[in-house]
Amino acid sequence: MADDVRRWSDELARDPNSLVFLELGETLRRQRLLDVAHKIALRGVERHPRNADAHDLIARIAVDRGDLPTARERWTTVLQLVPGHAGALKGMGYLSFQEGRLAEAERYLSHVAATDGDGRVTSALATVRRTSMSLPAVPDPASGAPATDAARETLPQDPRCLFADLLVEDAQTALLLDAGGYVLGGIYLDTNGTDVSSDVGAQLSGITDEIRRAMRHLDIGEWHSITFETQVAVVSMAPSADESLVVVAASRATPLGLVRRLLERCGRRASAWLERGSGE
Amino acid sequence: MTPPLRPIVDGLTRQRGVRASLVVSEHDGLVIESSLRFGQDGDRVAALAASMYRKARLSATAACLGAVAFLQLDAERGRICAVGGRNDLVIVVVAEPGANVGLIRVELFKALEMLV
Repeated sequence: MADDVRRWSDELARDPNSLVFLELGETLRRQRLLDVAHKIALRGVERHPRNADAHDLIARIAVDRGDLPTARERWTTVLQLVPGHAGALKGMGYLSFQEGRLAEAERYLSHVAATDGDGRVTSALATVRRTSMSLPAVPDPASGAPATDAARETLPQDPRCLFADLLVEDAQTALLLDAGGYVLGGIYLDTNGTDVSSDVGAQLSGITDEIRRAMRHLDIGEWHSITFETQVAVVSMAPSADESLVVVAASRATPLGLVRRLLERCGRRASAWLERGSGE
Repeated sequence: MTPPLRPIVDGLTRQRGVRASLVVSEHDGLVIESSLRFGQDGDRVAALAASMYRKARLSATAACLGAVAFLQLDAERGRICAVGGRNDLVIVVVAEPGANVGLIRVELFKALEMLV
């Protein structure tokens, strides 16, 4: 891989008009060298402004950096240049789902599923459809009917949609895990729209053993929450009823205070849901 | 050349609500430098905070979230904040529950810059 990067870099140095920047930028993106990948992709777009794959590359880098507005802008450009571009359709489907625009997400993913045999797209589409079916319909404000307390308290039937109505900002996601790290509710989709809830839940829940050990020895009482910033996300977790764990993740661009507010809201939702018998 | 660590930890401990600050090796949890208020067990704090930071880093990496930069743990009677990711060093602060964690975070990142 390092040889490829060197070879592509040399080729680009020899011929700045070469399209090899696409492979180089994508490889650097996968290696999480996002700033370098971004610079290379931007230079490529400057030289090839009508190359749809170049804009697609910038969009994918933007998602990794948590910059969803730029991603949407770039994928819109891609679809203007090449209307059926599979990467852009998948990307727009992902963005629309993250922003809660489920009908729009379904439209994009349906389009790409019809032409692309990728099983991950089919899986993402199924997720979007399940979510659409289980969320309550948005009341029509023109009807003037006030929302009742009971309506506001309605909890989703599908555990995967437990936090769906609370997650309205860019790239927010939330999970409820049991004491063993298994997913009880919520969903975690990666940038391809694949459900990676189980993997992420299992990995993150392992931190709590370490926290409990630290709390025992440091004599600072019970833990309320842990928050950490990573290269691409802000993650916040808190213990909930029955030794469960609420995990919230948002893009790195999200202010820490906002993530913690979101954690509180998801924590209250999780407690209510568990008290009512886990949606049964 | 390694910068003097003493002024770094002293500067952090001077922040309001900070009980202890330490520079710790993430790998083995040993204290490299510390500034502790009375009653704090530096070795214990260092070992546990380093272990927690390491676990968070490994878990986040495994979950494809990238490297952990800042960590904050809130508990009934205290807060632990840590930054790391450079040269195996983690800077840890133990603070009162009511301490201004936003300010502590800024100071921790400044301190981390000084370690490089």
